Amino acid sequence: MADLLTATPATTSAAPSPRARDRRRARRNTLIGWSFILPNFLGFVVLTLVPVLAAFALSFMEWDSYNPPEWVGLDNFTRLLNDESTKIALRNTAFYALGHVPLTMLAALGLALLLNRKIAGVGFFRAAAFFPYITSMVAVAIVWNMLFNPEFGPVNQFLQFVGVDSPPGWTTSTTWAMPAVILTSVWRDMGYYMVLFLAGLQAIPVEQYEAAKVDGASTWQRFRAVTLPGLRPVTFLVLVLLTVQSFKVFDLIVVMTDGGPGRATLVLSQQIYRRGIIEGEFGYASAISLVLFLLVLVFTLVQFWFNNRQERR
Amino acid sequence: MKRRKMLAAVGLAMAVALPLTACGSGEDNAESGPVELTVAVWSLASTPEFQTLFDAFHKANPDITIKPVDILAADYPTKVTTMLAGGDTTDVITMKTLADYVRFAGRGQLKDITSAATSTEGAKLAGLDQYKQDGDKYYALPYRQDFWVLYYNKKMFDAAKQPYPTSLTWDQYVELAKKLTTGTGDKKVYGAYQHTWRSIVQAISAAQTGGDQLAGDYKFFADQYKTALALQEAGATLDFGTAVTQKTGYASMFESGKTAMLPMGTWYIAKVLSEKKKGTTDADWAIAPMPQRPGATGVTTFGAPTAFAVNKKAKHAAAAQKFVEFASSLEGAKAITGIGVVPAYQSDEIRQQYFALPGMPTDDLSKKAFTPDKVNPEMPVSDKTAKIDTILNEEHQLIMTKQKSLDDAIKEMESRVKNEVN
Repeated sequence: MADLLTATPATTSAAPSPRARDRRRARRNTLIGWSFILPNFLGFVVLTLVPVLAAFALSFMEWDSYNPPEWVGLDNFTRLLNDESTKIALRNTAFYALGHVPLTMLAALGLALLLNRKIAGVGFFRAAAFFPYITSMVAVAIVWNMLFNPEFGPVNQFLQFVGVDSPPGWTTSTTWAMPAVILTSVWRDMGYYMVLFLAGLQAIPVEQYEAAKVDGASTWQRFRAVTLPGLRPVTFLVLVLLTVQSFKVFDLIVVMTDGGPGRATLVLSQQIYRRGIIEGEFGYASAISLVLFLLVLVFTLVQFWFNNRQERR
Repeated sequence: MKRRKMLAAVGLAMAVALPLTACGSGEDNAESGPVELTVAVWSLASTPEFQTLFDAFHKANPDITIKPVDILAADYPTKVTTMLAGGDTTDVITMKTLADYVRFAGRGQLKDITSAATSTEGAKLAGLDQYKQDGDKYYALPYRQDFWVLYYNKKMFDAAKQPYPTSLTWDQYVELAKKLTTGTGDKKVYGAYQHTWRSIVQAISAAQTGGDQLAGDYKFFADQYKTALALQEAGATLDFGTAVTQKTGYASMFESGKTAMLPMGTWYIAKVLSEKKKGTTDADWAIAPMPQRPGATGVTTFGAPTAFAVNKKAKHAAAAQKFVEFASSLEGAKAITGIGVVPAYQSDEIRQQYFALPGMPTDDLSKKAFTPDKVNPEMPVSDKTAKIDTILNEEHQLIMTKQKSLDDAIKEMESRVKNEVN
C-alpha cells in the first residue's frame, strides 16, 4: 500500500515521452480543428443531412405530416411507375434538359468567343450578357410570358411581320410551351456560363495560338485543335452544372406556365411539390425526389467517367 | 465575472419561464382579470375585417385584449398545420377554407362548439351546414359567407341601350355580352370577363345542375363549357390564353371599364367600394343575380364561408369561445358589414345596413342579387379534393386554350380521376 502511494507520484512526475507529447498535440489540434468547423457542420447536419436522410427513409413510408409515418416498403415506388403524371413529369424534365443543356452551352460559348476579343465597349457587352442572370427569376418569367403572348406579344407580332401566317401560341400551346420555357431559360443562364468560358479562354496560353498560326492552321483548325481542348476542364464543369440545374428546374416553370397548359410543362420538382406540400403525401413525394436524386447522380457519374476517359487519352 | 452574470441571467429567465409554461394549458374557467387572446389570421394589413372584429370585441369585452398572430395569406394553411401539429396554444384559429377545417377537425385539433352552433343564433348563419362533422358536431362558426353574383357596369349598358341583366339564362348572357362588345385593338371593350379560375365554369355548373365535382362523372360540365367557349369564340370576352399569359386581374378589367359584366364573388364588393372612395375607379356599378340554366326556378349560385374555431389546446378557451360566438353574432356581423364584408349572420337589419353603405348600389336588382335562393358549396370537401382539383384544373386549361376538344377533355377528366385518385 505504502509502496503504491509513493510509486504513483514517481511515475507521473517523470517527463512525458516525446511520442506522448506528439499525440497530445495532435489531439489538441484535432479538437481545435473540430471547434472551427463545428458551427457550420452543426448547421449542415440539422438543416441538410438530417432532412436528406429523413427524405430517404420517408420514401419507404406513408406520411401526411401529422399522423405517425407508416412503413409501406416499396409501395411508393411501384405507385410511381403507374402514376401517369409522374411519368409525364419525367418526360418533360428530360425534354427540358435536352434542350436547355446544349443550347445554353452553345450560346454561352458563342458569347464568350465573341466577347474575348479586344473590341470597343467589351465590358459593357459582357455586363449586358450577364445581366439576365442577376435578374429575379420571377421577373424574367413574367416578362417573357408577356413577350410570348399569342395575340399581343412582340414575339408573334414580329413573326407575323416577317411573314409567318399562324405563329404558335407559345405558353398556351401544349406543343410550344416547353420550347418557350427553354428559350427563356437559355437567355437567362447564358451570361453566367459565358463568364466561366471566358475564364477558360483566358487560361489558354497565347503561345499555342501563335505556334498554330506559324504552322499555317486556319481559324477553324485553331479553334478545334487549341481552343476546344484548352476549354475541356471548363466545358466539363459547365456540363455538370447545367445538367444538375436542368433536372432541378422549378421556379421558372411555376411562374411562367405552372406546369400547363394541362401537363405540358409539368416537371419532376413541381410534381414533388404538388404531391408533398399540396396533397400532403410526403412519403410519395420523397420517393419521387429520391428518383430525381438518383437520376442526377447517374448522369453526373457518367459525365465524370466520360471525362476521365477523355483526359487519359 | 461576466460569464457568471450571464449564467445567472439565463437561470433567472428559466425560473420565470418554467411556471409560465406549466400553467400554459391549464383550465381557465376560474380566470379573472385581463386576458390576452391570441388569434391566428392572414395578411392583417390588407384584410381589414380582422382588426374591425377585434376592435368591436374589445369594446364589448374591455378586459379581453386581442393579439393577432399575423401570417402571410399564401402560407396560411401550411403554417397553421405546422403550428397545430406542434401543440401551439394560439387561442382562435381562422378557418380560411373548408378543406383546412375538415382536416383540423378530423384530427381532433379543434374544440367542440356544437352548443353554440345549434342555438337559435346559430340558425341565422349562412353556410353553417358545411361545418357539420360526424353527423351532428360543429368545431367552427362561420362569420362571413361569400357567394357569386354578376357585377355590371351601368354606364356601358346605357350606352349600348340594353336593359340591365335582371334574370338571365347563360345563353342570354352570351348574346348580351356580344352586344356589349365594342372597339378593336387597345380600345376593345369586352361584354363580359370570365376569369381564368375553373370555378367560373365548373363550380357554377355543379351548383346549377346538381353535379358532383368529386364523383368522377363530368358530363354535366359540357353545357357550361359550351357557353364559355362560345363567348370566347365570339370575341366577347378576353381570350383565356391572353388572360393567363398577362396574368390579367379581374379587378382591373372591371374597374378600368374594359368589361361590362363580371361574374365574381361578393368579397369583391368591399374592394370596389374602397377603390371608388379612393377615386381610383369611376365605374358606375351594380350587381345582378348570376345567370341561370334554362328553366331554373329561383337563383342558384355557389359560394364559400369563412369561420373561426377554438384551438383544442387554447390557453384561454373560454375567452376564445366568447370571441368566436361574438364574431358570428349580430354584433360581429354589424361590425364587418360596416366595411362592406358579407357576414354569415343573415337578417333584414344586416341587409339594410349593407345597402346603406356609402357607394353601395341601392336598386332592387342589387338587393335581389344579394339574397340568392340557394348557395351551393364551391367544391365539396374530402381527402380527395386536392387531387381532383389539380386534375380538373389541368383539363380546364386544355379546353379553354383549345388544346383538346371538349369531349376528349371530359373523358380524360373521368379516366384520370378514376385512375389517379384512390
